[in-house]
Amino acid sequence: MNTNNNLYTVVYTTIIVVIVAAVLAFVSQSLKSRQDANEKAETISQMLTAGGFGNKAEFQAMGNAKVLETYGNEVEAAFTVDAAGAKVADLDIAAREVFSRSQLKAQNYKVKAGEGYALPVFIFKNGITVVPVYGAGLWGPVWGYIAFEQDGKTIHGAYFDHESETAGLGARIKDDPAFQAEFVGEQAWFGESPVFAIVKGGAPAEDGKSLVDNKIDAITGATMTSQGLDAAINAWLGAYAAYFGTAKAVEE
Amino acid sequence: MKLKETILDPIFKSNPITVLVLGICSSLAVTVTMKGALVMALSVMAVCGISSLILSTLRNTIPGRVRIIVQLVVVAMMVILVDQILKSFEATYPIDKQLSVYISLIITNCIVMGRIEAFALGNKPIPSMLDGLANGAGYGLVLLIVAFFRELLGSGTLFGIQVMPAGYVTNNLVILPPFALILLGCIVWVQRSIQKDLQEK
Repeated sequence: MNTNNNLYTVVYTTIIVVIVAAVLAFVSQSLKSRQDANEKAETISQMLTAGGFGNKAEFQAMGNAKVLETYGNEVEAAFTVDAAGAKVADLDIAAREVFSRSQLKAQNYKVKAGEGYALPVFIFKNGITVVPVYGAGLWGPVWGYIAFEQDGKTIHGAYFDHESETAGLGARIKDDPAFQAEFVGEQAWFGESPVFAIVKGGAPAEDGKSLVDNKIDAITGATMTSQGLDAAINAWLGAYAAYFGTAKAVEE
Repeated sequence: MKLKETILDPIFKSNPITVLVLGICSSLAVTVTMKGALVMALSVMAVCGISSLILSTLRNTIPGRVRIIVQLVVVAMMVILVDQILKSFEATYPIDKQLSVYISLIITNCIVMGRIEAFALGNKPIPSMLDGLANGAGYGLVLLIVAFFRELLGSGTLFGIQVMPAGYVTNNLVILPPFALILLGCIVWVQRSIQKDLQEK
């Protein structure tokens, strides 16, 4: 048989591609629930890490079931809020309902449009509030969780992750504990612009210690990732401004 | 070629990394920890072995002009399958996250396409599969040797378990990719001094 025939070539490649597509679709569907469970535990462990309930490696060593259990023990309330800061709906704590990355991505379009969003807020029993941020880094999405103290503006901790930032440079938003530690003790200035800034050339410091303000140092050699993360944090915290604004008013 | 040579040659005598100098990029990137290197080695073995088997079975039907594209489609399928499977298990999920893009980049690993072009398209399915597996194993062996030294000296651990005495100051240079290249150079040196026929006159 002449395998160099045009018709044969076209039919052959079509069949191969259709078979491969079918195999991949089938495998993807049958493994989806397991992958979702892993992703959910990963998301929760990131939130708990930001909230200071342990570090990422500890949660990883614990296994999924223990991570979900810890979350269940620590969380007080979980709900979504809209642009006006009003509660939209409760998240199911018993089912450990959190926002997956695709949900964050969907919300990110609405955050950018400035309306119609319902963003998750997680309040823990020790008074710490954890909120997600999501945006574009250099090569792919960057996202993370920022934990606030009871005053609703001082940052208690932060954890960031990324899909494909450059190893050793942009990837340091995830891998470098020193970068995440920079957030601790700083503040988010809701209602101002920018809410938070990752600045090039050094954040204001005194005696070698960073001042308590809304600025931290960017990562050297990772300008685009730093800018992307800065934009993500500003867009998302900006979207939460009304919520944290009202939360503060209630306290006073 | 004899079956025994098909299996043993790629492990030492014609090792894909140290002799053919293929797959260097990923061997620098994924050798920080033994776990990562082991998962990567097994993934490459699986991709290499099964794609060779499939393509060798199809070899007489593949149209010559789209040969490379058909190979790519099959290899890509295998890589995606491996990635999906790693993501599905609790034990391998964190490792898959740590290896991130390097699992998907197996498709660009010259060893896979190289063995398919050089061996699988001209041999029967079973020897082809063994050739793929053996080349994956040869690649994995070097990966594990490099990772052994990098994890031991760089983090003081092996497979995540502390083995160096407490108070061992970890060597940061070892963690960085350049050290992997130095180690690879040393491995090539050792191999060439054992295997005289590799030495240039």
